Amino acid sequence: MADVRIPDDLWDTSKTPEGIVANWFYRDGSEVPANETIAEIMVEKTNYEIAAPAAGTLRITVPKDGVVRPGTVIGRIEG
Amino acid sequence: MANQQSNRILTVSRAMSEAIAQEMRSDPSVFVMGEDIATYGGIFGATAGLLDEFGEARVRDTPISETAFIGAGVGAAMAGMRPIVELMFVDFFGVCMDAIYNLAAKNTFFSGGNCKVPLVIMTATGGGYSDAGQHSQTLHATFAHLPGLKVIAPSNAYDAKGLMISAIRDDNPVLYMFHKGLQGLAWMAWPETAANVVPDEAYTVPFGEAKIVRPGKDVTIVAISMMVHRAMEAAAELEKQGVDAEVIDLRTLVPLDRETVIKSVAKTGRLIVVDEDYSSYGMSAEIITSVAEHDPGALKARPQRIAFPDIPIPYSRPMEQWALPNADKIRVAAQEMLGRKAA
Repeated sequence: MADVRIPDDLWDTSKTPEGIVANWFYRDGSEVPANETIAEIMVEKTNYEIAAPAAGTLRITVPKDGVVRPGTVIGRIEG
Repeated sequence: MANQQSNRILTVSRAMSEAIAQEMRSDPSVFVMGEDIATYGGIFGATAGLLDEFGEARVRDTPISETAFIGAGVGAAMAGMRPIVELMFVDFFGVCMDAIYNLAAKNTFFSGGNCKVPLVIMTATGGGYSDAGQHSQTLHATFAHLPGLKVIAPSNAYDAKGLMISAIRDDNPVLYMFHKGLQGLAWMAWPETAANVVPDEAYTVPFGEAKIVRPGKDVTIVAISMMVHRAMEAAAELEKQGVDAEVIDLRTLVPLDRETVIKSVAKTGRLIVVDEDYSSYGMSAEIITSVAEHDPGALKARPQRIAFPDIPIPYSRPMEQWALPNADKIRVAAQEMLGRKAA
């Protein structure tokens, strides 16, 4: 199992503490390939792509529009 | 292997940029230009990521002169390229209309078929987010009225990708009208039904084939672009009241699939046309006329159009929302048609 985790240094939190999950590109329970873009995070007007850390079954723990910070685990890949 | 049967759900903006990228990989004559389409990736995300992959020669930011770069697009197309040019908001067409309707739309005919104009003009349409009267129009009919242009307006990501690939491969000028509120942008509300499963590989959606997105027997609701989602919301409400609506997504205005609409009305006997464009002289009139011309006896009730009133689009949120077509207006029209008291 691998966590889908927002990288610690993805954005400067001194300026913008929080972002949101803008989109999930796979539904909960979908099979996803490793390194595939599975979600995007929006901070102010900037989008960041989040890739699958491994191949397996996606379990979403922070849904679309959920508030996130660097380091937040937004889902996991069950293999 | 993993993606043979994709379950990947894309937003419309990502579907568009993926379609463009795939065609650029397979055809070196395809290139993109427009305002803020390169470094910024398009203000509605339709060209995101293209500059990184293809570089400045094929993904070109232009100065703010639609007159110049739409005209350049026509010339490049006639010289053998397959340009995709973004007109940032359709509302800005005024300064480049000569290039669109006197050059792009007519040059194939004027040259006796000796010149092709394989140009795609993609342009953002639609309101609902308080951007006022010169940033919120759809203007479908303004372009569909002019012979020589193909005009398409996808409602979802699957169609957006397939129609974009068809548009790029078409030897005629295509106006690709995408609704801002369907793009899947985080800063603008959008119906989640606009994002759907999009295959990884390149595929086409043919022009001139409407799609029955919900089969039904009591009333035909014809829509395009954002209004497909409003029609589906209305159909869900009507279903609770025992009304079985058929919803048709036209997908392309030119060419227009009249046959699917006529067949549907022959079955239901009732017709509602929903368009975010202005009411008079528009798509709604064209569809109703097409049905009436074919068989005036097909209609059991007077047909109705639900479109934007013939006024400039208000900036004020309550005023704009009042004027826009919505699910409730569609539901009430259907109930009236069926002789039921509208709740």
